Amino acid sequence: MNDSSKKLSLTSSLLIGLAAVSIIASMFFPWWKMVFYAPQYPEGLNIIVYPNKLDGQIDIINGLNHYIGMSNFGEENFPELSYLIYIIGGLAGLTFITAVLRKRAVLYGLIVLFATGGLTGVLDLHFALKKYGSNLSPEAPIKIDPFIPPIIGENTVANFITHSLLGTGLYLIIAAFILLLIPLWKDRAK
Amino acid sequence: MKKWVPIASGLLAGFIAATISFADFSSKTDTQTASAGNKSDAEKVYVPFGKKDDYYLFASGGHSGQMFIYGVPSMRKIRTIPVFSQDSATGYGFDEHSKKLMGGYTWGDLHHPAFSEKNGDYDGKWMFATDVGNSRAAVVDLKTFTTKDIIKVPNTAGPHCAAFVTENTEYMFLPTRFAVPLGQKYESLDDYSSKYRGVMSAVTFDEKKVKLNIAYQVALPPWSYDLSDAGKKGSKDWAVMTTYNTEEATTTMEVNASQADRDYIVLFNWKELEKMVKEGKYEDVGGQKMIFPEKQKGGIYLVPVAKSPHGVDVTPDGNYFIASGKLAPAMTVFSFEKAFKAVENKEFAGERNGIPILKYESVMEREVNPENALGPLHTQFDDKGMAYTTMFISSEIVKWDPNTGKTLDRVPVQYSPGHSVAAEGDTVAPDGKWIIALNKIAKDTYLSVGPSHPESMQLIDLSGEKMKVVQSAPVDPEPHYAQMIKADKIKTIEVYQKDSKNKDAVYNQKDTKIVRKGNEVHVYGIAMRSRFIFDAKSKRPDVIEVNEGDHVFIHLTNIDFDEDITHGFAINDYDLNMEVQPGQTNTLEFTADKAGTFPLYCTNFCSALHQEMNGYFLVKPK
Repeated sequence: MNDSSKKLSLTSSLLIGLAAVSIIASMFFPWWKMVFYAPQYPEGLNIIVYPNKLDGQIDIINGLNHYIGMSNFGEENFPELSYLIYIIGGLAGLTFITAVLRKRAVLYGLIVLFATGGLTGVLDLHFALKKYGSNLSPEAPIKIDPFIPPIIGENTVANFITHSLLGTGLYLIIAAFILLLIPLWKDRAK
Repeated sequence: MKKWVPIASGLLAGFIAATISFADFSSKTDTQTASAGNKSDAEKVYVPFGKKDDYYLFASGGHSGQMFIYGVPSMRKIRTIPVFSQDSATGYGFDEHSKKLMGGYTWGDLHHPAFSEKNGDYDGKWMFATDVGNSRAAVVDLKTFTTKDIIKVPNTAGPHCAAFVTENTEYMFLPTRFAVPLGQKYESLDDYSSKYRGVMSAVTFDEKKVKLNIAYQVALPPWSYDLSDAGKKGSKDWAVMTTYNTEEATTTMEVNASQADRDYIVLFNWKELEKMVKEGKYEDVGGQKMIFPEKQKGGIYLVPVAKSPHGVDVTPDGNYFIASGKLAPAMTVFSFEKAFKAVENKEFAGERNGIPILKYESVMEREVNPENALGPLHTQFDDKGMAYTTMFISSEIVKWDPNTGKTLDRVPVQYSPGHSVAAEGDTVAPDGKWIIALNKIAKDTYLSVGPSHPESMQLIDLSGEKMKVVQSAPVDPEPHYAQMIKADKIKTIEVYQKDSKNKDAVYNQKDTKIVRKGNEVHVYGIAMRSRFIFDAKSKRPDVIEVNEGDHVFIHLTNIDFDEDITHGFAINDYDLNMEVQPGQTNTLEFTADKAGTFPLYCTNFCSALHQEMNGYFLVKPK
């Protein structure tokens, strides 16, 4: 029997610290993006989502989307962008604290929090995409069936093929999550 | 336990993330030029979809008043740039900016185009052109391929041999084809020799303000000035131009201007002229600083040359200038160095109109007379300094060595080449590779379109031992001269950036408005795929309603900041049309002098719902 209050090893602590660094780094990279390809746009049009802003050819995409009656993408439609960065910062802080405390229970708590946060984020994005794809204006010049763009993968809408991709930021977050799981295995009961 | 496992897996996670995010999995494409050795003629000129031509060709459009852009080696026409003539396809001469530039004229005769230069090489920034028809000069911005400024040149009538620019675009000189009295006022032709002048203008270009200006003028004798070129390297402060009608004939020029055995090349030092102007050695003629060579002496000399020469071209090394005889079957190579010495030692053979004549023998290097080659007009150069001269009468291009005078090769062209243009062939560093014969007569070359024929441009491969015609392209009237520039020197923009200082621009549909000031109506509207909005708050945002007699200003901004999404704007039966490029704001100004109902619509196909992109212009009767 191993005592769950026993301190995590120094290596584990360093790995958790590395996870915190990775979380902070993720704030400076795009987390998710959607690339639109059409015969007229072989170079692709992008919606690039950072934790605190949107980037890419948003105006052009909005201009085209009005033909199918989709409402405008814009930072004002995503209140998440105004506070997400603080949540991520907070998570990074908690991760640092966990690295310092080196307590197994705290790590468990962090992992649960991390997983919950991640799941919430995925659902939030899913519902946002569902809202855009299914609330199409009935007055639109081109009528198409409602659709839900996937979070990852390909979708076809009219002449556009969209590719949804995870961004560097999210890969860093996934890396951070893996780094948090390693101590569980490393300091497992022997 | 194995300590490396967690570290390795951590690193692995990082690497995977980095690889997915940053790695470039796309394969590199091979970009090779089309002028390689063992290709067939078809392969040499075929540029498949997805690849682009190696060179831009800027061909003067002559009396169309336009400039034509072609790709080389494909010889595909890419674009027409309206310069001196109206062009409803782009709204040129209709919108306010271009209407003002045109200054009330409706056409022009665009002769010699010339690139801006740095150290004698094209810098790819600006293109200059002259108008023989209405005595103007223009500058085209090569970021947008649009005309930016036009200047009317007083005291002169038909700047033909221009424009040629000096080594660092200090000046563009505009000598005149026709002599007229100063101020172009009425004078009897009986007083031609005393009252008429062949005025040359030194035009400067202010790159920051994008403005052409006349620095000074020179009241040369009343002769016709034909072609010209600026010196290079050691001769960079000098320029040369050919003359004819030194007989000063006033009628039946065909005969009377072809009597003298010798005409002249005018050799002048523009640095010296510049200094004279600075020192006040000029007279004021209607606000222009005019140098009279017989009074303000220095800096200008005459070199005798075989009669009625056409072209005069400076070799890439700047050592020689080559005059083409036109009516004499020979080219004459003159040495700048010898000319400088002759000037220094005053080896003069008298004067004409107060200008010293240098002794022919003192300046001439050699006469070159290829057998049976007739009508030499214009010379271009390749990367080895070899000369290529067009023969108008014997319909061929002759390749020869300016250093020895030896004929190296000849190729027939169809038919009667006026000018030719080699790849960067008038710079200090020509590329070789290609030369294009600008033929005046096409005759039976293409499918017949009746009595009016296109002109013809023939692409000649210079990469082999023998010159070879590999392609031909019809062209609208009429390329007098052209310029060929390496494609990567030109840096265009695709979309106009927002200009917060432009009071006429509206970038947000909500800010659109129609403002009335007395009988003036100002519309601040936008065009986007696929609608016009002139007043967002109006019941019908795409309708403009005015009263008969109102002075209407329609400011329209294209808010599709997207490559190649151009909108047009026409008012049916009001004889108005303009274009707005992505991000651009343009203005139509007119008087609503016709009451009634006039549909307005987008003329440039923009989208699937382009046909629905319309509205109404309503004019209430008085």
